[in-house]
Amino acid sequence: MSNSTSIAMRPAKTPSGQLNILCKKLFSMKNLRGLISCVVFVALWQMVIVFDIPYLKNLPFPHDVAANAASSAVTLEYWMHWALSLFRIFVGFIIAQLLGVPLGLAMGISKTFKEFSFPAFEILRPIPPIAWIPLAILFWPTRELSIYFLVFIGAFYIQVINSMQGVQNISVNLKWAAFSLGAKPKDIFWRILLPGSLPSIITGMTVGMGVAWNVLIAAEMIAAKGGLGRTTWESYTNHNIPFIVVGMVSIGLAGSLCSVLVRWVGKKAMPWTKKF
Amino acid sequence: MSHSPSAGGKHSVGDFGEARLEGVSMIYEQEGEEKLVALEGLDFTVEKGKVTVLMGPTGCGKTVLINLIAGYEQPTTGRVFLDGKPVQEPGCDRLVVFQESALFPWMTVHSNVTFGCQVQGMAEREINEKAKAILKKVGLYEFQDKYPSQLSGGMQRRAELARALINDPKIMLMDEPFRGLDAMTRQLMQEFFVQLYEEEGRTNLFVTHEIDEAIFLADRLAIMTFQPGKIKAILEVDLPRPRQFKVMATPEFMKIRSHALDLLYEESSKALAAGQKSAFDLVGALASSKDSCQVPQ
Repeated sequence: MSNSTSIAMRPAKTPSGQLNILCKKLFSMKNLRGLISCVVFVALWQMVIVFDIPYLKNLPFPHDVAANAASSAVTLEYWMHWALSLFRIFVGFIIAQLLGVPLGLAMGISKTFKEFSFPAFEILRPIPPIAWIPLAILFWPTRELSIYFLVFIGAFYIQVINSMQGVQNISVNLKWAAFSLGAKPKDIFWRILLPGSLPSIITGMTVGMGVAWNVLIAAEMIAAKGGLGRTTWESYTNHNIPFIVVGMVSIGLAGSLCSVLVRWVGKKAMPWTKKF
Repeated sequence: MSHSPSAGGKHSVGDFGEARLEGVSMIYEQEGEEKLVALEGLDFTVEKGKVTVLMGPTGCGKTVLINLIAGYEQPTTGRVFLDGKPVQEPGCDRLVVFQESALFPWMTVHSNVTFGCQVQGMAEREINEKAKAILKKVGLYEFQDKYPSQLSGGMQRRAELARALINDPKIMLMDEPFRGLDAMTRQLMQEFFVQLYEEEGRTNLFVTHEIDEAIFLADRLAIMTFQPGKIKAILEVDLPRPRQFKVMATPEFMKIRSHALDLLYEESSKALAAGQKSAFDLVGALASSKDSCQVPQ
């Protein structure tokens, strides 16, 4: 090891050196710019209220929202709303995947099956999931079930289409190569078609998760007992305005948490997509 | 003529793999479109233990011919045989190396190479022994846990060769396997292919657009006509083996080359008249081969 390298290595090993590196990372140009944009945003928000801009004067002050968030975060009730919403997403989303992936794969694999099922599917697909709310409330025995159903609708169609296209986009050469090497239909399915359509299936999950949250919040506001959407709506009717903002931010956080989870699952399921 | 080390009375790999096409026509008909006669009344034999190279303008049905022998498609009329037995479906006695890499992106090199053995239900230990030997032979042993996307173009082609060779096929069907590689890698792959062939003597059908590649590799050079595809001529390439790159500078090589170019030129002109871009491919092949001719001294 040459002298110069050991000198260059040294700062990282001592505690003060590590702190130095941490500081450098923390106060990087990118982070500083990000911080500035956040500060400007909050400052604008504050000014809008201070200067009495028409229509926007009902906005709560940023510090009121922060105080409300802090006091909410220590209550069990607040976290119960989180749990309720996450559970509803979980149930509807999982069922959508369990039914959507096999159905989509089947449509992609069998032309006959697709010709039978796809037209009816295409009539229902363009209906926005939120448009299902009245009917869902009407025909499911409990509100809870109708919310699961609506979340399911939000994620289901997207997954069917993605799984189907995933199979269809697999190059015929790969299937031919597998057949030549002696693969039987079950090998073709488990070793070629399924892993080959996985990138498309994961995309279907990512997009579906976004739509599922949209639908969930609308459904909760209209029909649910509890949940992040419901509590946000109720704070409107109770005129607890700071909590409306807290609710909104919570919904955003919960949604991105779910997206991160889906992306993590995708990475674990597809080790071949990482470059090194 | 055999380069394979056939020991005593035992069969060697070059004793198999004779692919014969008899009166084969391939007609594609789609509703609302003019029907396309890809092959018509084609009689052709890929002789066992030799490298047969197939050339012809784009759209003359070279890939179709490969697909027929591989069993991916069935001819409209006529019959296809391998060692006298009719070809009915794909099988691991006839393996294809495709134009674009057909490695499975979601499998490591090791899993790709052993795919055939796995689906045929071979024992784990035997699979690993075979894989080790073949991966060492193609120089990919250290890379067996990588995914195809992590390999260079040349390594991908070698992995694909290994995936076929591990099954000990009677005939290798090579559909422009070195297309898209850079010039240096391509030359190395050609040398690798020649060495491999001269070691094993396995029957090969090799499709290419490169005239120099074709003659360097071939024992027999078959030139196809443009739509409908037939065999226009077969040139015997009796350049000595083992072959090295400097053979390209010999008068014998140049003689075969100019003969082949005359034949190809006729067909490519027809293709150009038919609005195909293949004639431009030929011009490209001529231009690039002029450069490469001066390299070996």
